[in-house]
Amino acid sequence: MARAAGNRNIQAKLVLLGDMGTGKTSLVLRFVKGQFYDYQESTIGAAFFTQVLSLNEATIKFDIWDTAGQERYHSLAPMYYRGAAAAVVVYDITSKESFQRAKKWVLEIQRQGNPNVIMVLVANKADLDTKRDVGNEEGEQYAKENGLLFFETSAKTAQNVNELFYEIAKRVAKAVPLRPGGMKLHRRSQERGRRLFCCSGSSPFGSDDCNINSW
Amino acid sequence: MGACGCVLAQKELQKMNTYKAPRDKLACILSCCKVINNFLLSASISSNENPPGADEFLPVLIYVTIKANPQQLHSNLLYIQRYRRQSRLVAEAAYFFTNMLSAEAFIRNIDAKALSMDEMEYEKNIESAQAVLSGLSTDSDDMPMPSQSHQSVWQLPRSELGEPRQEAFNPNKHQGSASQLQFPPQSFETKSRSEGLHAKDQVSLGKVPSISDLEDQGGFMLMKEEKVNQVFRDFPYLYSQSGDLTISDVDDLLNKYKQLVLKYVCLSKGLGDAAPSPPVSISQSRAQNLAVTEKETKASRAVTLNEATDRDINLKVGVTDAVFVGEENSESKLAQGSDSNVKNDQRECLDQAHG
Repeated sequence: MARAAGNRNIQAKLVLLGDMGTGKTSLVLRFVKGQFYDYQESTIGAAFFTQVLSLNEATIKFDIWDTAGQERYHSLAPMYYRGAAAAVVVYDITSKESFQRAKKWVLEIQRQGNPNVIMVLVANKADLDTKRDVGNEEGEQYAKENGLLFFETSAKTAQNVNELFYEIAKRVAKAVPLRPGGMKLHRRSQERGRRLFCCSGSSPFGSDDCNINSW
Repeated sequence: MGACGCVLAQKELQKMNTYKAPRDKLACILSCCKVINNFLLSASISSNENPPGADEFLPVLIYVTIKANPQQLHSNLLYIQRYRRQSRLVAEAAYFFTNMLSAEAFIRNIDAKALSMDEMEYEKNIESAQAVLSGLSTDSDDMPMPSQSHQSVWQLPRSELGEPRQEAFNPNKHQGSASQLQFPPQSFETKSRSEGLHAKDQVSLGKVPSISDLEDQGGFMLMKEEKVNQVFRDFPYLYSQSGDLTISDVDDLLNKYKQLVLKYVCLSKGLGDAAPSPPVSISQSRAQNLAVTEKETKASRAVTLNEATDRDINLKVGVTDAVFVGEENSESKLAQGSDSNVKNDQRECLDQAHG
């Protein structure tokens, strides 16, 4: 979940879901590499990215988790979207099947995920309009019915990519309360742990107590 | 992904169990992921494809995990989850740790559907793999564990052992390993021990086998596995060294020696004393050398049998138990000096006897 601290630095986990080959990774790469400054090259590489977005109201640091889209790994998904502030469900406009799959994801997260999660439906590969199999209205209609954000993007041409992530960042900033409560409690308990020990140095068993000469 | 990269990533995972701190264990997982990522990246660059994402990464991680078969994987993962400082198990570390957890979960719950293969075919393969495994583990129970073969396992580099072990084992990699994971680790140890024994055989015969050679031979050795176990049962001291023996073994050995001498005397008398037994004829040339030196050292010894018989007995004893010769007779130095020769002879004899 998103975490806020001090001057509104928010860390948010964003998970990417969607069928294999819908361009989840390309979408993130476009967003991460297309920025003017790269916040931090991730050390291990592929599939995990971080990116910082500065808004007026807050600075959002995204941890972006890519997931494997193959059907056989479907049952593993809960491990990935647990604790996510935002879920981006991607489908390919040239593939009806990937749209069906996206609907399945939406349903699953609505049922099992955090109710406060920001969900976005993304129709990717908008540049392949000639091969389109899923209409724009179709996706938009579904998103409206289910209360999702909807974007039609192209990782190739960068169409709508930044808009997508900025919109998510705004929603995250709105969702996180200004006064974080739980964190402070945690800090205080840490400080309390550093209590001084009281060492008087006197032994409860003084030499008088075990005086052998007394008997 | 290249075979060498795969092995590298596997080694990183296998290291995990050797570290104590949760941080270090986690570091092993992360470096394994890093190796995989580097290879995926270089592969995508060389084939001019999109940079790799989770779609490519997770399957490779699962494959590497299966091939590495890291010790105590489940416990180690739980340990990290429980004891790695929560404020440190975030961001990238958390992501790749989650990948590792999900890879483990996938392997644990593997079935025909997860591998997109026919249910019947899957069952059949699992059954055959389990049969092989259980057969091995029961056989090795009553098989005396010679220290010699232990050594050979550690002497050989792990990668060389690891490869043929699994390749030979599983005609179908995914399934075989799936069933492997359901078995306690002991069975693999015994497996690798006996495999090590084979490897030792190869080495002592003077060949230097490459990895692919070993892989090829692995299957064949598996076929011979039962025969080898038979040898162990018939000649329990065959691969023993003097250090392995206990006092109680001495009685047993002495008994067997007496029986052997008796049988041999009877046999050779029946055959008219001159005809050498087949094993002797194979190693005849070496026997000659041995016998020459033996004659000198045995000059003072009271010999009831004639020279020829005595020489043969020594050889026969050597076949049954090389150590015994060294212990019982005065020519222990000789036996030790020609230890490797005798062992080679033994193997040749055995190969002859068991086809």
